Order: sequence, then C-alpha cells, then structure tokens
Amino acid sequence: METKTLAMNLGVFGVLQEGEDQPEYTAGWYVDPQTGQRVFYDPNTQKFYTMAGGVYIPLGYMNPSPKQVTLAIGDKLRITMSFKYSGPAISGAVCYYSIGVYGTFGFDEKMVGQNSKSIPQYVTPTLITDSYTFTIPSSVGTNWDDIYCKVYGGSPGVPQNLFGYENALLIAGTQPAITEFQISDFAKV
Amino acid sequence: MVLDIVLAPLALEPQNFNVGDKVRVTVSFKYVVGVNTTLKLFAGPYYTNLFGKHLVSSCVGEAELALPVASTPAPQSASVDFILIPKANGGIDNGTYGLRVWIEDTNAVAEQDNVIIVSGNVGSTDIFSSMMPMMMMLMMLGMVMPMVTGGEGEVE
Repeated sequence: METKTLAMNLGVFGVLQEGEDQPEYTAGWYVDPQTGQRVFYDPNTQKFYTMAGGVYIPLGYMNPSPKQVTLAIGDKLRITMSFKYSGPAISGAVCYYSIGVYGTFGFDEKMVGQNSKSIPQYVTPTLITDSYTFTIPSSVGTNWDDIYCKVYGGSPGVPQNLFGYENALLIAGTQPAITEFQISDFAKV
Repeated sequence: MVLDIVLAPLALEPQNFNVGDKVRVTVSFKYVVGVNTTLKLFAGPYYTNLFGKHLVSSCVGEAELALPVASTPAPQSASVDFILIPKANGGIDNGTYGLRVWIEDTNAVAEQDNVIIVSGNVGSTDIFSSMMPMMMMLMMLGMVMPMVTGGEGEVE
C-alpha cells in the first residue's frame, strides 16, 4: 500500500513565559473588530477561544487544506508537523495527531496517534519536525476528511499549539465520495 | 487595481416540453470508492411555492449507476430518463418547473430552477384559471355592495 504525506506547520513558539510579542490581555470576553464575533481570552494558554455547543474551541486552528490526499482502505498516511522552537531543553513533549470530522461542536477524533519528543536547548528559533503514520482501516468513513495536530506538555511544559486542515483527505471507503456533481445537459428523447 | 472574477457553472437554458415527453438528463461528476458499488441516480421536476421546493414525485425517473473501484478521483458521466406524466394521470400540470438530479445515499445533488416548461395538458387549471371563480365573485360583490350600502345610507 502507498504511503501518502501531509505536512503541517505550527509556526513559532517557546516555553510558556512572559513573551515580548504577546499583547497583555486579561481573561475575559472580547469582540473581534473584524468579524464581530465574541471570543474568550485565556491568559494561561495565551489563546482566544470561541464557544460552540457549550464547548470552548481554540479560535481559528482549522484552516483550508492546501491539498487533498486521496486514501483507500489499507493506505498509509504520514502526517508531518513542523514548528520553530527556542528555549530550554524539553523532555517528553507530546506531538499529537488526529484524523476525524470537524464540525460545529468541534473535532470528532476518529483516529489518534502521538509521539513523545525531546527537544534540545535552542537560543534562536530552530525548525523541529515530527511525523506519525496512520493506516486507514476498513471501517473508515467517507467523512473522515479533516486532520489536526498539536504539541503540548513535557518538562518544562510547552504551551499547547494546535493546527488543522479541513477537507484534507478524500477517502475511498466502502461508500463513494462524489465531487463536482453537476447537470451537463437535459433534452427530450 | 484588483479584478474580482467569480467563475460560476454554466446555467442550463429553459426548454419546452409537452406532457408525455421523455426527458433525458446527463450528469457529470468525480468519485472515489474502495469497492465496486452500484447506486441509483434519480431525476425529476420540482415546483417552488411559499413552503419551499416540492418534487413532482410521479414524474421522477431512476437509473442504475455502476461505479468501479477508483482510488483517485475518476471522472464519470451518467444519464437518467423521466417521463412528464399528464396531469389527468396524476402527473404534472402545465407550468414552469425546476430540475433536480441526485444520487441516493450520497451528498450528490444538483438542481436548477425554472428550466422545464410544461404544456399540453387539456383543460388544465393553471393559477389564473383556478382563481377565476374567486375573482368573479369579488367583482360581483364589488358591484352589489355599493347598492346595498347606498340603500342603508339613506336616512330620512
């Protein structure tokens, strides 16, 4: 079976500490001036969240996928994450991967995998990569088309960073997945 | 200067049909599937009113659609026929209808409003003729009411 890959870039981050670039917000609700959307800021994670179905969802961690990977039952999908890190050495950070269904109520994880990662000390932002390979099971649903990954934890702890792609996968499962369906013509016969 | 251009699917041209005509609809799409699969393709006319879109179920046609295994998006076309059964036989009335095509048990649906113009029903009751009796009554009421109120208004 073929192994296909998806790469995701988590951006730049360091150990949770007083960041020079981070604006100093207090915990509470804010209104996004561009969208008018109410968002909640958590100073512990230094992230904005939106609320859907009673659940706080990190704002904007899902993105349109730059490409779509077609997978059949038994195929292997390798997801590679990358990020830039500067700070002290970290042991046991968790690189977490999931395939599932993203909707109004968040991300419904259908398959998950994780690696434990030790990161040496860096004084300048340095590119770190990690990857995990999934094997597509026979029970796969055609709507398992979203993926996300995150890195968190370890000692000392890194802040949780998430990143995901919507419609990243096209699953050739037992049910057909149909796209670009349109009427070409109709006529009397 | 930025040009903001949106490419939209080509619209279908409205076409005239007589009741009893057979209409063939051709669709195109791409698909992937892990096992050989046979589905049903449906097509039929629909009308729209205040309560939404309503399929003329007596005129819906269906066809078998065989999809061989495809692990990468495979282009496919298919066709399905339906007959415009006359109103007298429980079918479609004269008028303008939309066209809807779909594949069962999938999210594949395509439709376009006002592309099927149906005529040929004898003694058809379109909207105007069905409203004629009511309009006649209103006109008669309009003529009678001034006489009635005029009589009541005279006080000596």
